Amino acid sequence: MNKSAQLHIAILESSKIICEGIQAILYQSDMDCRVYRLDTLDDLIGLLEANPVDILIANPVQFVNREKEIQKIRKNYPSLAVAGIDFGMMHKPSTLTDITFTLYDSTEHIVHLLLKLDKKSQSQPNEKEGEENLTKREIEVLTGLVNGMLNKEIADALNISIHTVVRHRKNIAMKTGIRSQSGLTIYAISKKIISIEDIDI
Amino acid sequence: MKMADLIDGNPYLLLMLQHFNIDFRVSDRTVLQLCNQYDIGEQLFISIANLYNGSGIRGERPFTRKDMLQVIDFLKSSHNYYRFDKYPQISTCIRQLQENHPEKELKLLEKFFNEYFTEVREHLDYEDEVAFPYFITLLGNDKQNNDREIYSSREYSDHHTDIELKLKDLKNLLLKYIKIDNDLDLRRKLFMSLYELEFDLYIHSLIEETILIPSGIDIEREQNE
Repeated sequence: MNKSAQLHIAILESSKIICEGIQAILYQSDMDCRVYRLDTLDDLIGLLEANPVDILIANPVQFVNREKEIQKIRKNYPSLAVAGIDFGMMHKPSTLTDITFTLYDSTEHIVHLLLKLDKKSQSQPNEKEGEENLTKREIEVLTGLVNGMLNKEIADALNISIHTVVRHRKNIAMKTGIRSQSGLTIYAISKKIISIEDIDI
Repeated sequence: MKMADLIDGNPYLLLMLQHFNIDFRVSDRTVLQLCNQYDIGEQLFISIANLYNGSGIRGERPFTRKDMLQVIDFLKSSHNYYRFDKYPQISTCIRQLQENHPEKELKLLEKFFNEYFTEVREHLDYEDEVAFPYFITLLGNDKQNNDREIYSSREYSDHHTDIELKLKDLKNLLLKYIKIDNDLDLRRKLFMSLYELEFDLYIHSLIEETILIPSGIDIEREQNE
């Protein structure tokens, strides 16, 4: 299975029963996902720094009095989607979650909502990467190429092996449909990955 | 089969006729009649038409020496089409786009296209000045001490791939990335021209790789026996 299609889901919930229940639902479904279980908001912050997380499932009551922190997290990780679990204690819908499901929703409904969430966050236009979704590393390699660096020079500059550089170049070519250095230069300019002023004609 | 019907099925065959120096006002003539009129090998004609139609030419060798000479004429005629018809057409479109949109991206595009076409021209010149004359001597003599070997099939196809890839880059850039507002007409003309060029160049490469070189190798082998 393609690694990059795997969903990284974090469950922020201190009740073991609830956590186990949600995890069971996720694993029994068709979704290819990796689940992280967290007790506190600080655990979440720590996790986000080390791993990519696509969806956070949490009881929004935990966010009360910590809205600023949550907003900061959402700003720093714009591709993170938040699904709230409604325990029946919320009087009004939380503004910090993208969707909400209740403890009594069916498995199908919950999975359906989560999948919809993921699709939505994937289709958001990303200024730097565009629909081709070049990774940060690929953009670094692309920048090196466009500046006229050879594979070896790029490998040295980024501290990776030449084979890795070659692999990144193949991926870039596959994603963008462009292979030549001059072509990639034009691509990089139109995507604003490099500035026009950097290029001499 | 009537030539007019063949053309109706695939208008790109008009390009093929042009490279054979055949006027496409073919009235009711059949393929055979046309070939006889212009003294072109029927098997060769059909093989190349099949290439244009996308059906390949497996197992249709050997071609005669006369056929091979005609193939070389065909290829030379294609070269003139690229140099004096296609290239100026595309260059004019790009120039016009650039005048309407002075962004740097378009200057780069023009530079890219010119670099690309320089590579193409070098390849064409090489063929006209070195490869084809060599083939012609090969075809003309019975036993000849040939110091040079035929440009290997592999090298030929590598070079073709390079050129094709650059053209694909160009098309993708226009289609997906370069932001130009308006001038849709001009961009469409440019894109279609690129597409036609790509197609004919592709067939051109196929003819070289599947007809010219293999037959040349056969003849060389014959001569060395």
